[in-house]
Amino acid sequence: MGEIRSELPKKYQAAVDHWQRHNFPEYPQVAKAWDKYFPKDEPFCLCAKLQTDMPTHVEVGDRKGQPKALQPKDLDPEAAKQLLMIIRAQASTEYGSIQQHHGTYERANDPQDQAWVLRVMAEEFRHGYQMIHLLTSADWSPVTDTKPEDMVEEILSMQTGSHVLAAFNLEYDSFVDNVVFAAFIDRVGKYQLTMQKVNAYAPMAASMPPMLKEEAFHLATGVIPMRRWAEKAAGPSPLVDMPALQRAVSKWFCRGLEMFGDERGGETNVRLGLKDLTNRDAQDRYVEECEQMLDDVNKRYVRARFPSLSREDADALYARVKADRGTVDGLSWDEDLLKLPHRGFFRRRGEFAFQMIGFDGEKFDDVEKYVAHVLARLPEAYRASVDVSHWAEMQRGVASGKVELKAAIRSMPRLARVGGTCPCANSVRWVVEVPGPSGEAPTLHP
Amino acid sequence: MAQGLRIRPLTELDVEPVTRIDERVTGKYRPDVWETRVVYYIRRDADSSQVAELDGTVVGFMLGEVRGGEFGLDEPTGWVEFFGVDPAARGRDIGRGLLEALLSHFRSRGAHLARTIVAERDTEIAGFIERLGFERAPLRAYEKRL
Repeated sequence: MGEIRSELPKKYQAAVDHWQRHNFPEYPQVAKAWDKYFPKDEPFCLCAKLQTDMPTHVEVGDRKGQPKALQPKDLDPEAAKQLLMIIRAQASTEYGSIQQHHGTYERANDPQDQAWVLRVMAEEFRHGYQMIHLLTSADWSPVTDTKPEDMVEEILSMQTGSHVLAAFNLEYDSFVDNVVFAAFIDRVGKYQLTMQKVNAYAPMAASMPPMLKEEAFHLATGVIPMRRWAEKAAGPSPLVDMPALQRAVSKWFCRGLEMFGDERGGETNVRLGLKDLTNRDAQDRYVEECEQMLDDVNKRYVRARFPSLSREDADALYARVKADRGTVDGLSWDEDLLKLPHRGFFRRRGEFAFQMIGFDGEKFDDVEKYVAHVLARLPEAYRASVDVSHWAEMQRGVASGKVELKAAIRSMPRLARVGGTCPCANSVRWVVEVPGPSGEAPTLHP
Repeated sequence: MAQGLRIRPLTELDVEPVTRIDERVTGKYRPDVWETRVVYYIRRDADSSQVAELDGTVVGFMLGEVRGGEFGLDEPTGWVEFFGVDPAARGRDIGRGLLEALLSHFRSRGAHLARTIVAERDTEIAGFIERLGFERAPLRAYEKRL
């Protein structure tokens, strides 16, 4: 089980470094935090990692049993185009999550939680680097007319509000979002990476195991602080209470579901050998894991709130409250415990898009009542965001027939995917030619 | 391996079942301890430590990793450090299944030697380890009360 490591060509390395200075200014703190919180762990390496000893033949789909592609030109043309979109979307998520974490990183109330998030940001930075490596280390010209420089330029130009997937276009409201995002959205990332381990493009498949190893810690960065907050929530004056956690769950879970793609799709990726699960199958497993996660967090809360109960009695109490959706011994399903919303709640993509399904699966006929129902379950700061006001506008439009469902699904607030140049100067690109060793030092970028 | 038994790598969602097993074995509820330990092993090598599921319920765990350089022992060594099996699920070769998975991972990481330390009083654990092929090591454990 080996690993090959490599770096980007100089101009892309410079572009990534430049992006980091603007979007990830905490990066220079990584080494110090690593020494303090992960002293015996392998040092962080900003590099592309490819696992060796991977399967050499296509594992699923129409070409199952044939040798995996080593170059894009060896792929089925449809698969190559689809893969290019997947890599671009994957890269967008990596860089997008750093931009989101950055927004509230300084608001952490616990130095360890903050150091964990910093490590997550550094490793997402490496994952983005990995995707850029895939785009720039092979000839994609048989698949696209877009030059690699322009593909990288587009990825680095995306900002919160212009990323490919909606989950990466939401601002964080507080450090609660850093944590709950890691628990819910990074979990989708784990599924995507796991599904792509079978990818028919060998370098893509070989990129996945090292990323997955790192992603495992990202999920813990979400789950462990949630568990500890839940325990403290059972005591007096908690900094983060269960209703606050619940509102964050309601904010992120729905966007996580949509990251799998439309529930009715995904067969094409399986047929092309790019993934091994359809969207619905993957989403089903994700929901099951999220259920287990919330059960575990709730049990931690119950044990802390009823310390005299034995494990068996505490588990029985929780099981009863959950089954009845009621209140037993003062423990309330509605007020004290975390719940997953129904899959149709607050949806903008997929088979439930704009269907006015409530938190518990109830259906609404009155759009204003539905908007109020959703708003009451979201974090206060998020309710005031452009994202939510755009959703409400689209929801009202679909309900009245003034906006077609397809148009509402396609619509995103502040869509500015093209033309986001480096903020240093209006005319400067992220990717620029970097002089060779004998040339002068670049002067455009600070 | 017992029917319905599945061995898989440890994840962050195993904190609760590992805490439950430890509580059943020791009588102590120590979620903080297991949160810290589970995260440590996931962070260091997410594929190394293993849990056993019986019909979908976690009934055993074994935590360990490959390290080198400890105590002047330079050879990469797979260290078996924590394990536990739910008392209600014993007698199904769960410990053996966990150890085989862990040792297999150690080998894939380049280790040709596995080590563990058992307290003299834990004769049951020592017997279990010896039945799985471990031998007394030519090492001495020392301690000093502080």
